Amino acid sequence: MTPRIVVANLSVRLKSFYRERSAMFFTFAFPVILVLVFGTIFTKPEHLNFDLPVQDNSRSQASARLLEALATGNAFTIRPVPVAVDATQYAKEHRLNLLLVIPKDFEALQRQRVVGPNAGVPVPLKYVYDPSSTSVNTKIQLLDSIVAAANQKATGNPPAIKLFAQSILSERYRFIEFFVPGIIAMAIMTSSLSNALNMNAELRQKGILRKLATTPITRADWLASSIVYQLILSVISTAAILLVSFFVFDVRLHIGIWLPLILVVEVIAFVGIGMLLTPFAKEAESASAVANAFLFPMMFLSGTFFPVEMMPAFLQSFAKLLPLYYVNEALRAAMIFVDDAATLRNFGVTTAFAAIVFVAGTFRTRWDKDL
Amino acid sequence: MPNTEPVIVVDKLCKHYGALRAVDNISFSVNSGEVFAFLGPNGAGKSTTAEVIETIRVPTSGTVTVLGMDVTKRKAEVVRRIGVLPQNFSSFDRITVRETLQYYARVFGCRADIDALMNLTHLRDKSAALFNTLSGGLKQRLGIAVALVSDPDIVFLDEPTTGLDPHARRQVWEVLKGLKDRGKTVFLTTHYMEEAELLADTVAIISSGRIVAIDSPARLTEGDAKQVRLTLKSIDAAAVGLIRKLGFCPVPEGDDDLCVPIESPDDVRRILEEIQRCGLALGGLDVRKPNLEEVFLKLTAEPPAARSQNRAA
Repeated sequence: MTPRIVVANLSVRLKSFYRERSAMFFTFAFPVILVLVFGTIFTKPEHLNFDLPVQDNSRSQASARLLEALATGNAFTIRPVPVAVDATQYAKEHRLNLLLVIPKDFEALQRQRVVGPNAGVPVPLKYVYDPSSTSVNTKIQLLDSIVAAANQKATGNPPAIKLFAQSILSERYRFIEFFVPGIIAMAIMTSSLSNALNMNAELRQKGILRKLATTPITRADWLASSIVYQLILSVISTAAILLVSFFVFDVRLHIGIWLPLILVVEVIAFVGIGMLLTPFAKEAESASAVANAFLFPMMFLSGTFFPVEMMPAFLQSFAKLLPLYYVNEALRAAMIFVDDAATLRNFGVTTAFAAIVFVAGTFRTRWDKDL
Repeated sequence: MPNTEPVIVVDKLCKHYGALRAVDNISFSVNSGEVFAFLGPNGAGKSTTAEVIETIRVPTSGTVTVLGMDVTKRKAEVVRRIGVLPQNFSSFDRITVRETLQYYARVFGCRADIDALMNLTHLRDKSAALFNTLSGGLKQRLGIAVALVSDPDIVFLDEPTTGLDPHARRQVWEVLKGLKDRGKTVFLTTHYMEEAELLADTVAIISSGRIVAIDSPARLTEGDAKQVRLTLKSIDAAAVGLIRKLGFCPVPEGDDDLCVPIESPDDVRRILEEIQRCGLALGGLDVRKPNLEEVFLKLTAEPPAARSQNRAA
């Protein structure tokens, strides 16, 4: 390997990158935008608030107390629905996914429940809902919990069982803290694999590899410059993600020696996969399709956007075959849990994988066959 | 002037792809300082031969030495002594002309005079232009400059003017003449006869993976001197029988023209006197020695079926 040639390749690649604005955007801005979007959505879940249309056919003190209970805690904002209309039809016409109907005799039924022949019979409270709506289940669960609390309060007795939460982490960790390491891992994976694949396919398609084959550049020079180039992009990308997370969402993660080590190994692993896939991408146009076929399953099944534990058992097993899963686990262990043993374990798996694909990728990169 | 010291020696070179014999047992040598043109129709094996000499492809059998070095055993040394302009030269899109030359100079580890190279290839005013903004002719000239960046002993130019308009082609020819004047050995792969005739000291014609002729352009055309052709334009149809009686073999060409193979200027006089004597109308005439293109067409006119049979193992 000749350092002079590695530096020359690196210089050309960095200049090309700097002069191609769209590449810069997708490398740096895209992961930052993801952090901003997901951070905004998930950072302060206590501000979760839903509209709740209510048809109050009772218009009594009892219904007023119920509405007050529903509005307490800002979970729901009550939207009155006219009494004269058919609730189901109204929900359909106004595209409402949940509509609560308080019966006309709500107050009377409440009284009868305490005394008289119907004592102990629950007061019916109907809701009309759209099961095809994705957010309606959350609303129904909220409604259930508020009604359950109201029922419990109506008994006049203290609750028999009460839950107390104790986090395994210090209180300051939120969803965004778990999300940021995943985005770092995803950004580096996407950049390393796509760039390695696209660059090789484009150079081959244009005939530049043929020209380079008649120069003193060796495979080792080429691969070393690819890795150093990706490392530079990865460091900038990671710094951008961490800075935005810190300044916008006050995300404070542990940044120690593990972070650069994991970045290096991840870059080598995914540049190696890119080199292995190069023979399947004969043209620059097909390179994106080949890259996406690998990137998307890893992005969504490796615990980047949501925990692997949320997936069915067979998908969890599959996730553990994906290298990005171990990168995510290593980064979270190092940056959130500060658990050296877990970090080392996942880092070891990633390193072994990187070594295998890099050696295989090196052997697949043949100048003469790449012509 | 070229000397007789061979700098490229190709001996019984074969390159096969499965059953296809892309290059089939060819031998030739290129002398120092000469422009050697390698001619052949598309798919004849020109580029494959050039790529083996350039160390990009490994021969199936045979040997190739460049400056006395076996290309399969001393690749690293060979590439430092040669400069290559590949077919349809391309480079990094967002890198300027000057940066491209600087890049290749660093890769070769040489102190190239970038300004002199840009002057030689008439690229000085395009120094700051990005590669993807250059026209086809400018790209080819940059490719030639890149091939010269390490001041190589031998320059390989693979179809340097293919796809260029006539003006751009002549600009590239001027650059190639400059190389010849500087005494560089040039291995020129082309299918433009005019280019080879204008620039080459030696021409090798390859067809179906085999060399069918190799000599200077003048000798190649002299070899067919008896094929001087007299073309009689807009001639009366009765002239065919008349000329046959004189012992020639006229061949109709187009609607009214007649092509007569002749051997001497005296034959022209005899034919014209006979036409005049019989009072036949004649629109015009043309006497022409065969050029390299005609020699090439004749030598490479093997029917496709026969060619494929020959090439298949």
